[in-house]
Order: sequence, then structure tokens, then C-alpha cells
Amino acid sequence: MMKKLFISSTLLFSLSVAGFWLAAALSPESVGQTAVAAPADKRYSLQDVAKHTSPGDCWMSINGQVYDFTAYLPGHPADPAVIQPWCGKDASEAYRTKTRGRPHSPYADTLLPKYRIGELTAK
Amino acid sequence: MKPQRWLPSALCLALPLAGMAWAWPTGLSAWRSASILSAWAGCGALLASLVLMVRDPRLAAALGGLDSLYRWHHRSGTVGYSLLLIHPLALAADALDESPRVAWQTLSPLAQDWPEWLGWLGLLLLMAGLASTFMPHLPYRRWRALHYLLGLGVLLGLAHLWAILGGSLGVLGAIGIALAALGWRLVVSDFGALARPYRVKAVRHPATDLVEVTLAPCAATLAATPGQFVLAAFGDGEGFHGCREFHPFTVSGIGPGGVLKLDIKALGPCTRHLQGLTHGVLLRLEGPFGDFLAAAGDGPQLWLAGGIGIAPFLAVLRSRLPARPTHLIHLFRNADDAGFSDEIQALAARTPNLSFVPVASGDSPPELGPLLAAVPGLAGREAWLCGPPGLNTAASAALREAGVPAEAIHFESFEFR
Repeated sequence: MMKKLFISSTLLFSLSVAGFWLAAALSPESVGQTAVAAPADKRYSLQDVAKHTSPGDCWMSINGQVYDFTAYLPGHPADPAVIQPWCGKDASEAYRTKTRGRPHSPYADTLLPKYRIGELTAK
Repeated sequence: MKPQRWLPSALCLALPLAGMAWAWPTGLSAWRSASILSAWAGCGALLASLVLMVRDPRLAAALGGLDSLYRWHHRSGTVGYSLLLIHPLALAADALDESPRVAWQTLSPLAQDWPEWLGWLGLLLLMAGLASTFMPHLPYRRWRALHYLLGLGVLLGLAHLWAILGGSLGVLGAIGIALAALGWRLVVSDFGALARPYRVKAVRHPATDLVEVTLAPCAATLAATPGQFVLAAFGDGEGFHGCREFHPFTVSGIGPGGVLKLDIKALGPCTRHLQGLTHGVLLRLEGPFGDFLAAAGDGPQLWLAGGIGIAPFLAVLRSRLPARPTHLIHLFRNADDAGFSDEIQALAARTPNLSFVPVASGDSPPELGPLLAAVPGLAGREAWLCGPPGLNTAASAALREAGVPAEAIHFESFEFR
């Protein structure tokens, strides 16, 4: 019984992984094309960002870009207490180090454009 | 204390449920919720599996025996692994709304970083370790080494959890349970930190490829009763170097002052090496385990032994002659394997309650039908079986066919892989 469960679950898993790879390989679109949906000419200051500090309205600036993470917050893998304090702030350093000296993954980088709403002004 | 046989299964259910309750997602998509819940349910099942592999005599007695614990250890480990497989797939499925390419990037280790690599490595080690578990013909030492991969896989999975979620209460609790169970198993069980020292007092060879050793305690004794087994790790002595790994052996005799007899059949590299045991060899014993024959009723008995499965019945007969009608059938291949027939015949001659039927069945499976048909009042007897799994299964089926109720048929699986 357990042997059958092990074999069938491993087989299904392998087939599913292969299926995801095949679907990506056959997909004509590129990640960049779908992800960059925000207008590039919108400009916000840190004061603008600081007005959006709650989980229900959460903006952050990262590396000169401004993001609205309100829709993303529930999906962030870490404890909400890790990311929510950065709402309304510049989180460039936190994004680079995850507060523990290690950067976010390349996959996380691909998610950012989806939530970008504009550029950060110098002042 | 009465064994709580429901506790292992309850633990296998409670830990996954506790994990899911602790991490219960709100406001997330269905796939993302499924990913989180499968991860925590799988983690809980693997933790239950680790707890159930702790080999402690008191714990085993309280929870219904070592074979029951190992059975649930296997079930919970396999179910936990299967649940964990859902975790990355559900995460990828959640990203399918975005695009198939984003879904693949969610899954592909090439697009991830070391916290995710820890998870993947843990999963692959679990896969390799479990695959070896289902290879019964793998040599024991290779099987055991591959089985350790499972423990390492669980630890890497927990490191993945810690790297992603940080040191929250649930994560630290899971790591604490895993480290405590693995530490106990490695230090106390496998290293034998609490094992009792014994010394080989006498050696004899009652049959081909069979050695009977009489063991005397060097310090505190093990309080074994007939029907129980111990785990023995033989060390060194004059002209003998032991394999030092713990193997289970049923006690075949119990003497005053904690003296024990073990009969060791050459079935693998270590037990073959033990055929050369000499007087004075030091060993360590863990146990006792098991409750075979402990619940025998007051009615007539049928004892059916295959090969070295005669050991628990021998232990009873060497301690006392049966007070109720007992019919003992001993099946073995050839006359050279008989071993104890003369000793049991002599005991049977001293009491009308014991009838003994030794049967050399050769290399073909024994014909159980005629043997059982010759047992007087078979349907009214309580049957105790001790032999290879195939014999136990075949004999159980034959006994039920002959009218013996299922609840009157008892055997221990004695399968520890």
C-alpha cells in the first residue's frame, strides 16, 4: 500500500514538473512583456510613498522604483511582521539583504514589475 | 499499564492537523492555500514519523509494541512525503494565472536561491531514502545508510522552512521535535547510550547455521519475559570482533540472575559472523520489547513455529511446562535445522498437556492443510504464530478457513525495515 503510494505520487510529481516545463517552453510570451504593466512616467516622492503605510494600502520604494504591494502582501512567504513594517518606506536595503544579509531570489525579481506604479523622484 | 494502541495513529493525525491549524491561510488564492497547507501537513506527518522511530522499551510498551510503532512510522513518513510533493506544484499552479513561464520560474530551482535549494535537496533526499526503504533485498547496512538520508532530508526541509519564514514559534517547535527525536534515536538507540552490558557465558550450536548463546549481565539486568525480544550489539572478545550493530533476537531462555539465552540464525552478514561467537565476548542489550504470548488465554493453544520462530515457545517451555492443552508444530527445512526437537520431545514426555509435531518440509512451502486438520479441536484453540511473514500469512488464512476466529490468531510481524 505505502509502496504504491510512493511510486504513484513520485510518478505524478515528475510528470507534473515535466508538464510545467513543457508549458513554459511552448509559451510564446516572455516574462518581461507581461510583467511590466505600470506606466513609466509616473513619479512619486518618498512623502507620497509614506502616505501608504497599512497592509490594506502598502507602497514601498525599492532601488528608485515605487511599488504598490497591497495585493501582494497576503502572498509573501515570510511572516507578515517581516514585510508590513516596510509599508510607506524605502525598502531597497531590506530587499537586497532580507535583513539577514542575503538577497531575494531571481524569481522575486521577476515579480516586481507587476506591482510597479512609477519612479521615485530625487527629493 | 495497558498499551494505548490508538496513540501512534492519533499522533500521525494530530501533528499534521496542528501544523495546518498553526499556518492556516486567510485571504489567499486556493492554490497558494493548498501549497501552504500541504507543506505543513507533510511536515507534521514527517515529524510524527520521526517521533515513532524512537526505539525506547517503555514507549514501545505504552504505545502497543515496536512493530506497531514502526508500521505507523512507515505510513506517516510516506504520506508526509506525498503531501510535501504537492507544495511546490501548488505554488507553480498559483502562478499559472500569470503565465506558464512565471509558473515554471516558481518551480525551477535555477530561478531560485539557496533557501529554496534547501527545500529541493530535502525533497530529493526523502525521495532517495524512501525508494531504498521499499527495496527489501538491499543488504541491511546499505539499506540503513540510505535510510539515514530520510533524517537528513527532514532537517534540510526544516532549514528551508526557517530560511523562508524565520524563527517563528511553529518553525522552532518543528525543529525542536525533529532534533529531539533524531538525537534520541542516534544517541540512545543506535549508539546504545542506555544499553545494558552483558557477557557471553556459554556457546553451543544446536543446528546448522545456528548458534545459541547464554548471556550473563555485567551490571543491571533486563527484565525480559518469555515471548519478548531484545536488541543485541555484539562487541569483541578473545579471537572475535563483533559487528557492533543492534539486531533483534527473540529470547529463547530466561534463567536466574538475569541470564538470557538467544538463538541466532545465520541470515545476513552480521548474524553469519556471529556464528563464530566465543565465550567471554562483550555485548550490549536494549529492551525488552514485544508482548507475544503475554495475552494467552486459559483455553487450549496451538503454537506454530517456522524455523528460528521456535524461540519464543522455547522460552516459555524452558520456564514452565504448559498448564493447558498445547499443540506445538515446528516447521523447518531439513533434519539438520531441527535444533531443539530432542529438548522439546523430552519436555513433552513430562506432561500430557504438550503435544509436539516437528515437520521437515524441505525447500517447498509446507502443506498446512493436513497439518492443521490433525490438530484435535482446532476451531476452539487460540493460535500463536511465529515465523517468516509468508508463513504467518498462509497459516492465518488456513486457520480462518478451518474455523478459528480472526481474534484468536496472533502473530508479530517482526519486520523492522
